[in-house]
Amino acid sequence: MRLVLDLRKVSSHSERRRLANEADQHGIWGIVVTGPPGAECVEAAAIATVTSNLSVIVDVDGDAAHPTTLAEEVAVLDQISRRRAALIFRGETTTKLSVAALLSGLPSNGVILSPPPAQTAVPVFAPEDMPEVDLEGDLQNNAAIIDQYRDASTPFLVVSWNGPIKELARHLVGRAASPDFPQMVADLADEIDPIE
Amino acid sequence: MDMGIGLWCLQSTATNPRSFEQAYQELVDDARLAENNGIHSLWLSEHHAYYDGYCPALLPAASAALAATEHLKVGTGVLLLPLHEPNRVANAVNLLDAQSKGRFHLGVGMGYRPIEFTMKDELISKRLQLMNTGLDTLQAKVTTPTWVGVSSEKAARRAGRRGLGLFISGAFSRDVVNGLIAAHRTEWETSGSPGGTPPPVGLLRNLWIVDTETERRKALEWVRSSYLVYAGLGWGADKTGVDFVSQIEASMDEVERSAKVGSAEEIAEDLEGYDVDLVVCRVGYDQPPRTALVEVIERIGQELLPLVKELGVQR
Repeated sequence: MRLVLDLRKVSSHSERRRLANEADQHGIWGIVVTGPPGAECVEAAAIATVTSNLSVIVDVDGDAAHPTTLAEEVAVLDQISRRRAALIFRGETTTKLSVAALLSGLPSNGVILSPPPAQTAVPVFAPEDMPEVDLEGDLQNNAAIIDQYRDASTPFLVVSWNGPIKELARHLVGRAASPDFPQMVADLADEIDPIE
Repeated sequence: MDMGIGLWCLQSTATNPRSFEQAYQELVDDARLAENNGIHSLWLSEHHAYYDGYCPALLPAASAALAATEHLKVGTGVLLLPLHEPNRVANAVNLLDAQSKGRFHLGVGMGYRPIEFTMKDELISKRLQLMNTGLDTLQAKVTTPTWVGVSSEKAARRAGRRGLGLFISGAFSRDVVNGLIAAHRTEWETSGSPGGTPPPVGLLRNLWIVDTETERRKALEWVRSSYLVYAGLGWGADKTGVDFVSQIEASMDEVERSAKVGSAEEIAEDLEGYDVDLVVCRVGYDQPPRTALVEVIERIGQELLPLVKELGVQR
């Protein structure tokens, strides 16, 4: 299971950028951002420009835009981010299918995207594909939550996290990835290299 | 007079095929280069569904260039407003404005390719109506500096009436440019001077700084061939001497005549004759090697900019 840091509720752009940078440096798989309709990919492009590794997932209002316009914005984001874009689509299923086809390089209603996305196909998720949790408790409780979703074969988990990003990376990313996560190693790492 | 550079279209053309990822990475690199050389602004351009990937989504691209810089302004020259939902554009523009601390400039135009309207389920015959509705929304919701790309005096007058800036094509002769500026200014004055201060005028110019006759010939070839793109797109403007649909060679001759290729001093002397606030040096051609583009951006900042700083209108 991969962890996605939720930046949608972080109100300050500079704070979103700081957190994305830290997530990028500490190996968090991805972040999710949004914005008012039309501004979602603008926010995501700014984050993509100042990061190198993490997936940039953009949560969009799919009913506010023409499907071609939306797909064009995401395709450009995919080029800017060098194949790191993904989409959470909120809206009509037919529109979602059209956007997903365009973002796979396929024609939809006679249109083919130019430029195409950089990836073979940009992943397009429904909101229910990405469950969300607030990890606001202590580490033991958070570990139990992660175990529960991982053992249910959840592919992605969007997490709200107020603590140090390094702590999320050290204690919960590996746990999400593996059913036999050696907690002792993370605890010893805390002794060797305490997180402020 | 401010000096910008343009137009970054992020293409992979028949003349110079390249990867799109490279094109978008070079946009970020070029924005940093422009900023480091004191250049005022970098301008992007939009088309849809063209074979070469001409950038269809300028606002995310502008966001990348702004995120990579601290002082450079980034503008759209131009975003085709009738092909977008105005409220979405307003939301994106306001975010860009906030993120960049006022470094974003919005240039808008009407568009002219039928296929672009068809793919957005709009009628090209309604483009003026869509443009006016879009401008009404933008003027109500954004405070970002807004420029209108025009190719006729009628369009220049419409921009003047609204108190919006002008963004003038690089293909037009000095006489055509001066006619557009006069129409814009006169209409602004007779409309009660909306906004209180005269709206700015930006001018694209084909120019290249060279030292030798051989370099001059080469640069003029780059200028000419760059308009192949517009021949393919089917762009032309009435009463300007430029129509890449029916008169390709004559239009390229006209473009070559209005281009200025020479020393920084010669170019500055030529620009002195224009009553404009901003000159956008059109250097984003597809043919020049990367080293030549980098060099001309550096020379614009280091040689041309100091010569033209005091030129132009004092508003």
